[in-house]
Amino acid sequence: MPEIGTPALVYMVAALIVPFVRPATLRQILLLAVPVLGLLTFWQLPYGTYGTFNLMNMHIGLMRLDALSYVFGLIFSLAAFLALLYAWHVRDTVQQVATLLYAGAGLGAVFAADLVTLFVFWEGTAIASVFLIWARRTEGAYATGMRYLIVQVGSGVILLAGIVLFYRETGSIAFSKMGLESPATWAIFLAFGIKCAFPLLHNWLQDAYPAATITGTVTLSAFTTKLAVYALARGYPGTELLIYIGATMTLFPVFFAAVENNLRRVLAYSLNNQLGFMVVGVGIGTPLALNGTVAHAFCHILYKALLFMSVGAVMYRTGTSKASELGGLYKSMPLTMIFCVVGAMSISAFPLFSGFISKSLILSASADTGHFFVWLALVVASVGVLEHSGIKIPYFTFFAHDAGHRVKEAPFHMLLAMGITAALCIGLGVFPSLLYGILPYAVDYTPYTVTHVVTQLQLLLFAGLAFAVLIRTGLYPAEIRSVNLDFDWTYRRLLPAALSGVAYLVQGTWRFASRIVMGRVDSLIAGVYRAHGPQGPLARTWPTGSMVLWIAVLLGMTLVLAYI
Amino acid sequence: MTDANALLLALAIPTIATFLIAASGSRPNIRDGISVVASIATFAVVLRLLESIMAGARPSVTLVEVMPGLVINFSIEPLGMLFATVASGLWIVTAIYSIGYMRGAHEKKQTRFYICFALAIAAALAIAFSGNLFTLFIFYEVLTLSTYPLVAHKETPEARAGARVYLGILMTTSILFLLVAVIWTWNLTGTMEFRAGGILEGNIDPAFVPFLLALFAFGIGKAALMPFHRWLPAAMVAPTPVSALLHAVAVVKAGVFTMLKVGTYIFGIGFLGRTGASEWLVWLAAATILIASIIALTKDDLKARLAYSTVSQLSYITLGMALANQMGIVGGAMHIVMHAMGKITLFMCAGAIYVAAHKTKVSELDGLGRKMPLTFIAFTIASLSIIGLPPFGGAWSKWYLLLSAADAGQLVIIGVLMLSSLLNVAYLLSIPARAFFAPPRGQMAHSLGAAASPSKGWEEAPLFCLVPICLTALGCIALFFAVGGIYEYLLSIPILPETAP
Amino acid sequence: MTDQSNGKTEGMPPLARLLSGIDKPRNVARLFYLLLAVCVALGLADFFYSKHGYFAVEEFPAIYGLFGFVVYAAVIFLAKGLRLIIKRPENYYEPFAIDTEDERAAGSAPEATGGKPNA
Repeated sequence: MPEIGTPALVYMVAALIVPFVRPATLRQILLLAVPVLGLLTFWQLPYGTYGTFNLMNMHIGLMRLDALSYVFGLIFSLAAFLALLYAWHVRDTVQQVATLLYAGAGLGAVFAADLVTLFVFWEGTAIASVFLIWARRTEGAYATGMRYLIVQVGSGVILLAGIVLFYRETGSIAFSKMGLESPATWAIFLAFGIKCAFPLLHNWLQDAYPAATITGTVTLSAFTTKLAVYALARGYPGTELLIYIGATMTLFPVFFAAVENNLRRVLAYSLNNQLGFMVVGVGIGTPLALNGTVAHAFCHILYKALLFMSVGAVMYRTGTSKASELGGLYKSMPLTMIFCVVGAMSISAFPLFSGFISKSLILSASADTGHFFVWLALVVASVGVLEHSGIKIPYFTFFAHDAGHRVKEAPFHMLLAMGITAALCIGLGVFPSLLYGILPYAVDYTPYTVTHVVTQLQLLLFAGLAFAVLIRTGLYPAEIRSVNLDFDWTYRRLLPAALSGVAYLVQGTWRFASRIVMGRVDSLIAGVYRAHGPQGPLARTWPTGSMVLWIAVLLGMTLVLAYI
Repeated sequence: MTDANALLLALAIPTIATFLIAASGSRPNIRDGISVVASIATFAVVLRLLESIMAGARPSVTLVEVMPGLVINFSIEPLGMLFATVASGLWIVTAIYSIGYMRGAHEKKQTRFYICFALAIAAALAIAFSGNLFTLFIFYEVLTLSTYPLVAHKETPEARAGARVYLGILMTTSILFLLVAVIWTWNLTGTMEFRAGGILEGNIDPAFVPFLLALFAFGIGKAALMPFHRWLPAAMVAPTPVSALLHAVAVVKAGVFTMLKVGTYIFGIGFLGRTGASEWLVWLAAATILIASIIALTKDDLKARLAYSTVSQLSYITLGMALANQMGIVGGAMHIVMHAMGKITLFMCAGAIYVAAHKTKVSELDGLGRKMPLTFIAFTIASLSIIGLPPFGGAWSKWYLLLSAADAGQLVIIGVLMLSSLLNVAYLLSIPARAFFAPPRGQMAHSLGAAASPSKGWEEAPLFCLVPICLTALGCIALFFAVGGIYEYLLSIPILPETAP
Repeated sequence: MTDQSNGKTEGMPPLARLLSGIDKPRNVARLFYLLLAVCVALGLADFFYSKHGYFAVEEFPAIYGLFGFVVYAAVIFLAKGLRLIIKRPENYYEPFAIDTEDERAAGSAPEATGGKPNA
């Protein structure tokens, strides 16, 4: 392949062509070819910076290929391919174009060597992805999309402000390790944090992902947040604050996920919790920890996509993703069930599944550096992951009480996409060296030691036992149709209420003041009117012609005055 | 052809066109053809001038000497050239668009419309090329007067009322404040010439600078600085091409252009920066940006919403001047281009929607995107550009305004610009989003069923409307990639006093 | 509802037929005891190899298992407590949310009626 600057270009060009391709099958094939072509543009390229030029005295580098960006480029391409395969049945041009632009922007951002390019693609992911939500074409999806877009664009403008300040401070826009030193880097950190769903900045994720289309959610789950993880790993490795942010992120979603009814929202909370592990890895910042972050992002994209795919397939067939309305589906969709279980075991980090070989790196790194409480939090969170993603998702969808849905198995292309993803999850779990070989730092790590396998199995199976006990004793909380308040309540309810209160006050004051002032003015005008009479020169309407005259007269008079 | 002749020709073509249009009033096709040909010819001459300017030429022509020291003089410098290029270039687009719109909407008295239109363009170009405050002021008023019949075009009571507000505010501010400022300036310095680095330094007690600046800032009512912004929404009663070219490009840009010109060539950026005289203007512009955006949020009338958006965006440019550094001038001038391209697209879309679907309210647009996809795609692109998102032109002007705010150490202004972007998202993008994706009013859509509903065929506006819209929308994208050249060009705006040769 | 499916395996995919009856109470009980047995075995396994942990607590036999069990139960009980505070009717954010949209579109509004739209 010729070197073309950035693989994003392939996606952008394809997005321009796709709407005009008929028939539908040809279009699908073209869509699937895009990630492959995109991958080929950097697959064999030697490390280095490509597509460099000078723009208004700034050094732009469209593609920086190094060990870190390469892995993310690889997994983003793979995720785009799988998402497009899963969406084979979609005939909606909007979603197809949006998926291409979104994936392309994600790749472009990962390869960006400078902050301006990063910003361009950063906003690109925000704009393109919102169409995957709006494409649901319902009133609620529109509103949710607006909220999502404002948060995402908000992240972008904060990033822009940070870049501007950074540029003025350092005279450079290179995107490299920054650290929290100035308002500029804090702003950039905050921008990354919004996309990474830091605690209290996280609600866009749980709000938007369940509102996207079935295939849209699969696509959404891969790029935005992992782009943020990449950006943190690039800009803020070893920032201690991230350790505590990450640890909090792993913990709090666990409780929300446990009581959430909408399974796609459960997965969104779960996504949040997994991001926490990666953020902790970035915060620790040792080679082992960063390897762990990258590996975990890689595996996570696959198994999270698999879980969203399986729940999506269920929703595609039954029309709902609410736990309270589902159950017993293994009878109708056994293959989907198996893929879902593979995803669930991967995310729960069972040995021989991909989560096991990636999460261990982060846990070991935290223990190595002596962060006992962080390590403990991660172990607790691991149990939480098992609860909401490992057990709750497959159990309430495919087992539990039979909700009576008798539907067809998922369509073939969905099964194929899930099958490939599941195979990758197991393949990476069984042959960890495949992944370890491409990590940014040299890896000397053996995940499969007796201690590690036995302790991990103990942790998971005893937790499973606790689940069984709670279910049998009826103590496990029932799935109830409800929404649960989270921090988004502050801007969905409190803020509008406060604003309307303020608006009411302002309006009232304004009306009161203007009534008094207008009353005065009215009486003044009436006085003038009386004085000059209805035929007076001031009472006439202003014809345009006399206006010119007036100007001339005024001008002349002032000139004369000026000379005096 | 010498540069000076080209300058005069650029002014002459639209002026002559007014007579030709008047003469051919009975034959609409010839009349409309003349207006398009005149616009293309004007643009060609302006481009020829642009080339010379970029090569370093500074042509100057003195027409009349009214009295010693008081002359009608045209001389071109980079800033005016930029404005002239934008105004004349977009005139072509609007001329074509007007044909589709005026015929599609069955407007009356089209000949008068085209005459005033050409006249307004001539005035705008004269403003762009004016070499001193006196010339600028004269043509500033000519522009106001020539657009008055355009605003009142429909001759309905609302149109008359709107036009009265329009004329009233613009005339009052220009005579009460601008004229006084001009004369004060003349009194102080003995000249009205625009000079690199300004003419006021050393001639005025620094304590008075903020007051003189206030006279200018409020006197230039066309810049729609609050609280003298009401004329702009009032002018929205005009036919849409008028709103598009005049109230998104020529008239309002004449205002902010004058603002930049006064800041650069009368006060001098360095002088403003040292005295801190424009500090208050920074805050007023910031307030205008935010308040106008919030008002825009509440407007259901599409053109009113766009008008308030214009009020807000114009203050970006005023802000660029008030920040008083080079990046501010670069960002402000760049925003003239970027905003013109985006806003003209938006207004033309609003007109296309009116012509094709007879809709003027935002709340009536649900589901219309399916019928008019190209119009709404263009609307989306232009909105994104105005919001300031890449890969659209508006991103760069915002970038330079942010750099300017950073240079001035105004962190709060950076925050204002960020917040404004978000407000823009809320009031602009919601329009195409609803048009494309919201279910028809009063109906509930199922998440699995809605996306599959078939499109019912296109019902776009006439081609004369549609093509200009697509062109300017593509222009928004092209400007993002072409920014390098614009930036280099804008750096040639003299900021410092020229050293004696 | 589980019992409806007894003996009605004809319409199912082959794979599902293989699994059918897994949710019969008797089989569920069997699975439960199987899990219990595996857990016990795993707990005992800790005595038969040399453990390489990072922290001293890890040396305690079957500590991971006990920890897992306790934490799991704790998570569930805390979540139940949390639910008391944060649970709202499903239409709480209506009409600006997707939560009950499909039901409303299908004409079967949810029983939850406590919320009021903040329009």
